[in-house]
Amino acid sequence: MNKWQVLLVKEIKHLFRDTKTIVQTVVVPTFITPLLIGGIFWYVGSIATEETKKTYEVSVYSSSNSVLIDELNKSDRLIVSQEDSVVSVIDAVTQDNSEIGLVFDEDFEEDLKFNTSAKLTIYSKDIDTFSQAQSLVLNIVDNYEENIRTSRLELLDLDENYVNPITIDEEDLTTEEESAGSIFGAILALFFVMYVISGSMYPAIDLGAGEKERGTMETLISTNISSVDIIIGKMLSVTSSAILTATFSMLGFAIPLIVIFMFYSDSINEYLFGLLSAIVNPVALLGVFVLIVPLSVFMGAFLLAISVYAKTPKEAGLLLGNVLIVFIIPCYIPLINPGLELDFVGALIPCYNLALITNNLIAGTVDWFLYSIALISTIIYCCVAIYITYIMFDDENVIFRS
Amino acid sequence: MIQVKNLSKQFKAPTEEKGLFGPKKKPFWAVKDLNFEITKGSVASILGPNGCGKTTTLRMIAGMLTPSRGTVFVDSVDVRKDKQTVKSKIGYMTNNTSLYDRLSVIETVKFFAELNQIPSDVYMPRAEKLFDQLDMRKYLNKRIADLSTGMKQKTSIVRTLIHDPDLIVLDEPTTGVDVTGQSVIVDLIKSIKDSGKTLIFSTHQLNEVRDIADQIVVMKSGEKIFDGNNNEFQKLDRNKNFTEIFMELVNE
Repeated sequence: MNKWQVLLVKEIKHLFRDTKTIVQTVVVPTFITPLLIGGIFWYVGSIATEETKKTYEVSVYSSSNSVLIDELNKSDRLIVSQEDSVVSVIDAVTQDNSEIGLVFDEDFEEDLKFNTSAKLTIYSKDIDTFSQAQSLVLNIVDNYEENIRTSRLELLDLDENYVNPITIDEEDLTTEEESAGSIFGAILALFFVMYVISGSMYPAIDLGAGEKERGTMETLISTNISSVDIIIGKMLSVTSSAILTATFSMLGFAIPLIVIFMFYSDSINEYLFGLLSAIVNPVALLGVFVLIVPLSVFMGAFLLAISVYAKTPKEAGLLLGNVLIVFIIPCYIPLINPGLELDFVGALIPCYNLALITNNLIAGTVDWFLYSIALISTIIYCCVAIYITYIMFDDENVIFRS
Repeated sequence: MIQVKNLSKQFKAPTEEKGLFGPKKKPFWAVKDLNFEITKGSVASILGPNGCGKTTTLRMIAGMLTPSRGTVFVDSVDVRKDKQTVKSKIGYMTNNTSLYDRLSVIETVKFFAELNQIPSDVYMPRAEKLFDQLDMRKYLNKRIADLSTGMKQKTSIVRTLIHDPDLIVLDEPTTGVDVTGQSVIVDLIKSIKDSGKTLIFSTHQLNEVRDIADQIVVMKSGEKIFDGNNNEFQKLDRNKNFTEIFMELVNE
């Protein structure tokens, strides 16, 4: 075995005998995160389901008896309570005694009677995104309005088309793959990047600053192993851990989906089934994996360079925590701007390119030229990071920095 | 065996003056124009107060630090020109055992042997002999983290000697070590001396030096202030003991 191979075997043995490494590379991405995500989806789903059965309080102030109030009373999901003033309605909503407050203008019935526009004010709090109160009330108001409109047109002997000169027929041609790409692509990329970082962070700290603190780095460089062999051995150890974590995180996502397809395909709706099928696409997964490999090497080398510069694991943790932000923010951008398209400059930005390419790979709309640019640029960053690591390991001021 | 010629090392040390990114740094000579020779098969000791440049000197001899000026020849090999060859001739050990906690004793020894590219049919008999000498047989498959300090010291000794180095460099090997560990180290130095290998060690334990060292080098503020054998050291003042002479030398 070459010296770097001897070092690599030792580092991997040493790393994976630490329970922390096993937990971080295998247990968390394969079991904990899917369980956590599944748990969150289940919880959110159950809240949404619960909301479809819920009844809501509606406070109403009207100086006259409107038919609309009778319509609201007909709904078995709305409990209408009449208030004696506008202030009481606002108070009821502000103090969360009612989900919705309705204030009918003083001339509401008169205006309708004389075929003018009647004013209705709706009070609500928009922070409860799951609440269906407002949509229930608006549906009833819309139906009521529609009936009045129809009777007004009949009175004038006019067809409905008279007030609707253009009929818009919307056809959404988005494929299931494109929907899946825009919904899940950036999230998956963010998870992969986070796993690559978490998978390489602890080994980088342990094999850099950790070894300096324990004094084993001094022992290692006292042997006749060269800096190049040390870098190759250590960097491959960190990268192996990162790739292993990324692989297990992919399995962590793929296995539950495969289980759903195999045993619960009948119980999920067709649209969701289509989206999930689009994610478990071998070409997309392979394409993402090919990009993750150089990204892992890049991050591994970069984190190792920072770690070896640090005097202690504590300092390394602090420095690497800041680096984490630098890598994660580019993944967030496509997540909060779903319409973003990858261009040449974007393909040169690490992590950002991974997020958009993951979108495109799942959607089946990947531009292979830009994919190649992203891959080549990441490999170039890898080489730069490896060179920086080499400079660090070859500099006695860094190795003996204390 | 070892020729130290005008060996000098400059570092930058922080001053009290503050700069934009912390205290300003100023260059200082940790080791300055050091000259001495150690003959093959002898035991040399470097003495001196803390910060006098002992560790820096040993690290330059072992090829771990590059001299700012001057050089060291180990078996006629210039450490500045061929660091790797010099390193292959040296077994270096610090007072901190500096071993990998999650490896076993046998894995540790195997790792350092393979790092020195020694085939197993060569290193295994050598390791077994050392295990017997140091009474370590029962602990070979135990992880380093589970060993006592004394046993860690013994493991460190085996890994230092596994490639059969011509020169052994020990940096303050008994500092911070308990009585058992100290006796293991002293026994090691004696056995190395008996085997005819060259050994250089730094220490604060003056009785060890008096008993074992053939040559004494005393340093102060990076410079050599004495180089000679035990008798020559004692001749400095016949009315004083070893420690008193040393104290007088470094306090002058």
